[in-house]
Amino acid sequence: MIGGLDFSVVRDNLSYFFIGRYPKGPLGGVGLTLYLAVVSLALSFIGGLILGLLSVSRNRLLRYGSMAAIQTIRGMPLLMVIFWMFFLLPAMLGGGMTASWTIIVALTLFTSAYMSEIVRAGITGIPKGQMEAAISTGLSHGQAMIHIILPQALRNMIPSFVNQFVSMIKDTSLAFIVGVSELTQIATQINNRTMLYPTEIFIFIAVIYFIICFAFTELSRWLERRLAYRKAI
Amino acid sequence: MARKIGLFVLALAMVGVLCGAALAGDTLADVKKNGVLVAGVKDSLPPFGSVDPNTKEYVGYDIDFVKYIAKKLGVKVEFKPVSSANRMPMLMEGRVDLLACTMTKNPERAKQIDFSYTYFLTGQKFLTKKGTVKSLKDLEGKKIGTAKGSTSEQNVTKAVPSATVLSFDDYPQAVLGVQQGKVIAATTDESILAGQLGKLEKNPATKGKFEIPDLAISEEPYGLGMRKGDTNLVKFVNDTILEMEKNGEAAKIFEKWFGPNSDSPIKRGSFKITADKRGT
Repeated sequence: MIGGLDFSVVRDNLSYFFIGRYPKGPLGGVGLTLYLAVVSLALSFIGGLILGLLSVSRNRLLRYGSMAAIQTIRGMPLLMVIFWMFFLLPAMLGGGMTASWTIIVALTLFTSAYMSEIVRAGITGIPKGQMEAAISTGLSHGQAMIHIILPQALRNMIPSFVNQFVSMIKDTSLAFIVGVSELTQIATQINNRTMLYPTEIFIFIAVIYFIICFAFTELSRWLERRLAYRKAI
Repeated sequence: MARKIGLFVLALAMVGVLCGAALAGDTLADVKKNGVLVAGVKDSLPPFGSVDPNTKEYVGYDIDFVKYIAKKLGVKVEFKPVSSANRMPMLMEGRVDLLACTMTKNPERAKQIDFSYTYFLTGQKFLTKKGTVKSLKDLEGKKIGTAKGSTSEQNVTKAVPSATVLSFDDYPQAVLGVQQGKVIAATTDESILAGQLGKLEKNPATKGKFEIPDLAISEEPYGLGMRKGDTNLVKFVNDTILEMEKNGEAAKIFEKWFGPNSDSPIKRGSFKITADKRGT
């Protein structure tokens, strides 16, 4: 008992909170939250980079096409994107996709759209002279982008990336709306079963979310410091 | 802008075409061939469907019916959690073969999916703090809690038009609303409320403070949901549940989850599984 709160409900359901029905069923709880976050994070890093590069492309068709896609996705609430993917993807692929993957696709699409703007800002933030100097040494536009512009731009983007990723980790909780048993859904299940400890249960998962996000932020701070020391300018 | 709207319309059209394409084949044959029956159930609604904290298996009244049907078919069961809002699309898209999730049979739903005979019969009542509600009049102009996308939501709006209906994600949250004074009553089927009341009675802090007044506003026949036109499976399921009534299995399952020693005691009364046409 801590101040009238009874955390024994957390202790009794600890393994359910962390791994859900695994190994008797699919992974759930904190495990699934981390899985959703890590996979979506990796995919949306790639997706954001590609979309961002397309949106600064010199080819007008590519530029406008990607901008239209980015604007469409950014104009929708994440919840809508999740609903769309949840009902649309399995219908398109004939039911071959698990609910968790529809969430990953939705999170990836959504986060990529936001990340691409960060990438675009990062690239346009590098002084024009860099590109001109690179091209004058005989590099092609693409080579200059990969070897000169991006390495500098990516470093500057790290804080914004981290911001976006932390927000995405928390967004995985929206998966509960379609019944994917990540941490929030598990908490709701336990709460429905026990009925009496909503405060304790939701304080506990708030702490878990905080720990995950804080650990991730610290990791990226460390990364930022390491990269900053090799920074050229 | 016109381009975006065009894209949107295209996407909508695609969804329409694809939904149409997911027509019911012969699910019974497919299930036998694959050796697995995929059932949509509730995962956080005891005593109908929930996950046992110790074994981590699904348990409940709905679950036992599905298990019996699967055993009769000689196949394994895979349970997929569904909510009141997404269960019909999940069935129609073919992501589950059968719905066993406290689903009330009604004519609107029967237009889109096929139902088995009634496997559980209950009525919609209210759960309140003791002595606060004696007749429907006491509810007028007050806030009442229920769950989104349920028939309870529609019934209560009809029965007490002047009340404000607050729709929660699921029934336990509505009951929590009563506990915290956010709503005067939580309304849904008696069977579900009985389970919630049982929980409240177990806790010393809430024991004896809540009740289910004898005010029924509707009859709720539950049916197992299957895809429209899936006649073979419907027939098989109907025959199976009639057999369960005959050999006493249905009464045994009822006794296990709703009997006097269960967490949510209610009376089965004169209800028997018969070839009924309730709710259609």
